[in-house]
Amino acid sequence: MATSLWATRAASFLRINVPCRGFATGSDVPICYLALYCYEIAAAFIDWFLKDLKYADSHEWVRVEGKSATVGITDHAQDHLGEVVYVELPEEGSKVERGASFGAVESVKATSDVNSPVSGKVVEVNTKLSDSPGLVNTSPYKDGWIIKVELEDDSDLPCLMDPERYTKFCEEEDASH
Amino acid sequence: MRGPRSIEIWKMGAVNYLEALKLQEKLTSDRKTHKIKDTLLSLQHPPTFTLGKRRTVHNVLVSEAELKAMGAELHYTERGGDATFHGPRQVILYPIISLRDIGTGARKYVENLESTMIELASLYGVKARAGETGETGVWVGQRKIGAIGVRISSGITSHGLAFNIDPDLNYFKHIVPCGIPDKEVTSLQKEVGLGQKLPSEQVIHEQLVSCFTKIFGYTDVTWRDKTSVSSDGNE
Repeated sequence: MATSLWATRAASFLRINVPCRGFATGSDVPICYLALYCYEIAAAFIDWFLKDLKYADSHEWVRVEGKSATVGITDHAQDHLGEVVYVELPEEGSKVERGASFGAVESVKATSDVNSPVSGKVVEVNTKLSDSPGLVNTSPYKDGWIIKVELEDDSDLPCLMDPERYTKFCEEEDASH
Repeated sequence: MRGPRSIEIWKMGAVNYLEALKLQEKLTSDRKTHKIKDTLLSLQHPPTFTLGKRRTVHNVLVSEAELKAMGAELHYTERGGDATFHGPRQVILYPIISLRDIGTGARKYVENLESTMIELASLYGVKARAGETGETGVWVGQRKIGAIGVRISSGITSHGLAFNIDPDLNYFKHIVPCGIPDKEVTSLQKEVGLGQKLPSEQVIHEQLVSCFTKIFGYTDVTWRDKTSVSSDGNE
């Protein structure tokens, strides 16, 4: 189950970025070895890209870089939501609080609140989501980011889950169905 | 092994839309803080038009003054979905349940609401189906018999589904129902044939609730007569 969850995240990521597309190099290296090499490069890149994320139990992710944080919803969340047709974004300059709702997404006639994993001030919102809400589905960790926050402090971060704990959390939640 | 899943059903009769909204807000808050267990409101509304979070006012084809003149109200809500109508002879279910407790997301939840209405229709020999992508709801052929609009806040649901037993379908002419133009709205009465007598509304409400509890796997079901309940949940 952990492998399939990781593979789902990897597949989601690969839809938006594959670092190596060397299948038509014309070299003597057999295609299958080249494909395997590219896969391993991609897997290492994904691992590096996603390992710095922290996760909330309401299925949002946050990437912290200094005093700045980027927030979105996870691949697990977008999969369980279905096709997103609308994203309600907060105003830039508004305050967000850890665990409190700052916006919503709509899919299959259901609006689902999106909660902030951190406290701070919204400094940027992803305006592309107004015309392309589906980016939340196709690129949840990259082009589907939702808000950027200037952190109040970093005291919220220890409350969040690392990738391994979040993977286990998702497995346990799905098993309760 | 998972224990029995419990739910309390509130049989409420006819309830004003705003009163029901305030009650749902209170119950959602109580469910979030574990003061109550999963709860399902079973009720009807007087003639009421509603819009969802996207505020698709262009799908309401008459002015609010004209709606008032015909004895209807218009309300803006935070649920998903587009414009719809609620009225007498339409059964409404508002589940206030924790999706996290059952490891279910929005997509699966809505599929189960669709299945609930499809199951009820099948009790009367009506073959209904879930809508295609972008047409969430329950259809008989190209005619819509059941609508869905849901809100999920911290994993707790509110709003829900509306199934047409025999409402006055003329009201739907004043909106583009669910934002889908050129599609008819139908009812159980219309689909079984106007000459066919349906059981009382109370019976159909109870049947719909039973379909819901079966599909959602509730094994411990308590019924409460709440026909005199106010919006703060007190009788």
